[in-house]
Amino acid sequence: MTRVAGAGTPAGVGGWRIGVLLFPALLGLCVFVLGPALVSAFAAGTDKTLTGPSFHWVGAANLREAFRDPDFGKSVRNTLLYCLLTVIPSVVIGLALALATQKVTRGAGALRLALFVPVSANLVAIAVVFAYMFDPSDHGLANTVLGWFGAGPRDWLGDESTSLPVVALVGGWRLTSFVFVVYLAGLTAIPASVYEAADVDGIRGFARLRHVTLPLLAPTTIFLAVFTTILTLQTFETVAVLTRGGPFRSSSTVIYYVYEIGFTGSFRIGYASAIALLLILTIVLIGVLGAVLGRRARERAARVEADGPDVGVDGVAGAALVGLGAAGAAGGARGTGRPAEVVR
Amino acid sequence: MTEPPIGQPVTDRPERATSADGSRSPVTGRHAHRVTRRSHAPDSGRVAGLAGRAFVLTVGVFFALLPFVWMARTAFGPSQSALSLSSNPIPESVSFDAFSRAFRDGHLGRAMLTGILVSLAILLLQLLTAIPAAYVFAWLPFRGRGVVFGLVLATLLIPSQVTAIPNYVTISALGLSNTRVGLVLPFMTSAASIFLLRQYMTTIPVSVLEAARMDGLGLFRTLRTIVVPLSMPAIATVSVFSFLLSFNEYLWPLLEARSPEIATPPLALATLVASPPSGLPDFAELAAGALIISLPTLVVFLIAQRRLTAGLAGTGVGD
Repeated sequence: MTRVAGAGTPAGVGGWRIGVLLFPALLGLCVFVLGPALVSAFAAGTDKTLTGPSFHWVGAANLREAFRDPDFGKSVRNTLLYCLLTVIPSVVIGLALALATQKVTRGAGALRLALFVPVSANLVAIAVVFAYMFDPSDHGLANTVLGWFGAGPRDWLGDESTSLPVVALVGGWRLTSFVFVVYLAGLTAIPASVYEAADVDGIRGFARLRHVTLPLLAPTTIFLAVFTTILTLQTFETVAVLTRGGPFRSSSTVIYYVYEIGFTGSFRIGYASAIALLLILTIVLIGVLGAVLGRRARERAARVEADGPDVGVDGVAGAALVGLGAAGAAGGARGTGRPAEVVR
Repeated sequence: MTEPPIGQPVTDRPERATSADGSRSPVTGRHAHRVTRRSHAPDSGRVAGLAGRAFVLTVGVFFALLPFVWMARTAFGPSQSALSLSSNPIPESVSFDAFSRAFRDGHLGRAMLTGILVSLAILLLQLLTAIPAAYVFAWLPFRGRGVVFGLVLATLLIPSQVTAIPNYVTISALGLSNTRVGLVLPFMTSAASIFLLRQYMTTIPVSVLEAARMDGLGLFRTLRTIVVPLSMPAIATVSVFSFLLSFNEYLWPLLEARSPEIATPPLALATLVASPPSGLPDFAELAAGALIISLPTLVVFLIAQRRLTAGLAGTGVGD
């Protein structure tokens, strides 16, 4: 449904009334999100510390320091590895679970519920349990399983080579459940008529999955790939609770490093902000890329599904990405055009 | 599994099985389909597919629930020592001892109260700020609305860890450092909530809003009596997500709640992990604590799960 300007607008709409409705939200966003982000961007060019009485403009010195800082380099490599270890498996497994759940008739509710549970999990609580499953003693769960194969116990979280993978396992466990939820919503948004048409054409089984279901899910897949990447780039809780970045920074992520620099030790807010700024720029880039890819995938999906795009979660998600990307790229000028168009 | 009789006419199957809550179940339709066309598909492929799905689901459910089962088994177990795989999966005697230890040492009762109060306050504030804003972005055009909405969306890209530093300074300047209000205030509005509510509100049929206008309803009454009741599914979804996120928030309380009196549940548990009262980690106690602080979000999720998928799928009111 296309909206006519002014249609549905109540009588007697004055500017001040719109202002009253918008003010609380804009106040909150400006004071606690947008303002702080700008302050952070400014602080990135200074040598400000939390406790120091004064600070100076140092220009790009913080950025230059970051590129030379081996600890930062380590945290970047760790974060990328963490992304790789969580995003790809969780998207693949989440999709497989969503597809498998689709055909279950009896007990589907209970099944879905069991697979939803990790999303609601408290990460600190889960980290406690995982820390204990990967206990270095020989009766931790992981070491017991190792014992079955005749291998000796390992100090999973205290070993430089396994600390990050174990932290990623905890993150991936929860992420998979999130991916599952979103794919499930994406699958329910595919109209039955599409499958009927495929059946008439004799496309079934694996061929249907490859030529019908997956192309129709492509916008959801791209949304998930981008969104989960952005999420995992900001990994903090699991690291903070499981390893505190150790041992020897082997599991320190970028955001954990920002936290360490800004909130512990010498509280170097300036340097921490500079690193955070680099992270935001990366996230914006990925968001823009996702928006472009998402738009293409939606166009392709619309061609597969002849009777016009059905807006499910992928529509909303895609619109969100387009909104985000456009906002990031063009200063927000084009942020709204697409969502209004996509959502009828 | 209930399978329709073989040879059932294709037209008998439901066009688009839609349950009352709007979540479409594609199961019935296509299941019947497969059986009807059975002669075309090789049986072995069907069995392999079924086995594959069963395997994927079994493994998935096993790993999804494993930490919780492990948590419960450890928490209810009698010993303070680590549980081994060889021990009986069902404890011989159920003991609530670990729970009372967790409540006592971790001050979890106080923390749970704080966590629930803070999360509900955040939820209330977010709804009060996001609903009117979403209404404006959905239905009330003004010059520059696109730019403003774009800026709102852009805030979604900013990691909360980045804003934490300046927010810490702001909250301190307001004299709210180390208070419950200080825990709530930075989350008073949520761009994600505004966006989701706005998307849903655009699906309200124009005719309904036109009728409200004919009846002479003003802006605020239209919002209160028409838009809010019609947006209830989205409001429910947003509320659940808001509660889950606030209750599980870790970084901000870690910075802000310096005194243990206002620690939130994740913080209280993390403190118990970092400094066990006896000097040695008490796994049963920690598992009990983990179980306790997982309960509120689990309960909320159990109640709301049906709504969540429906709300996420974004089925419009008058579509």
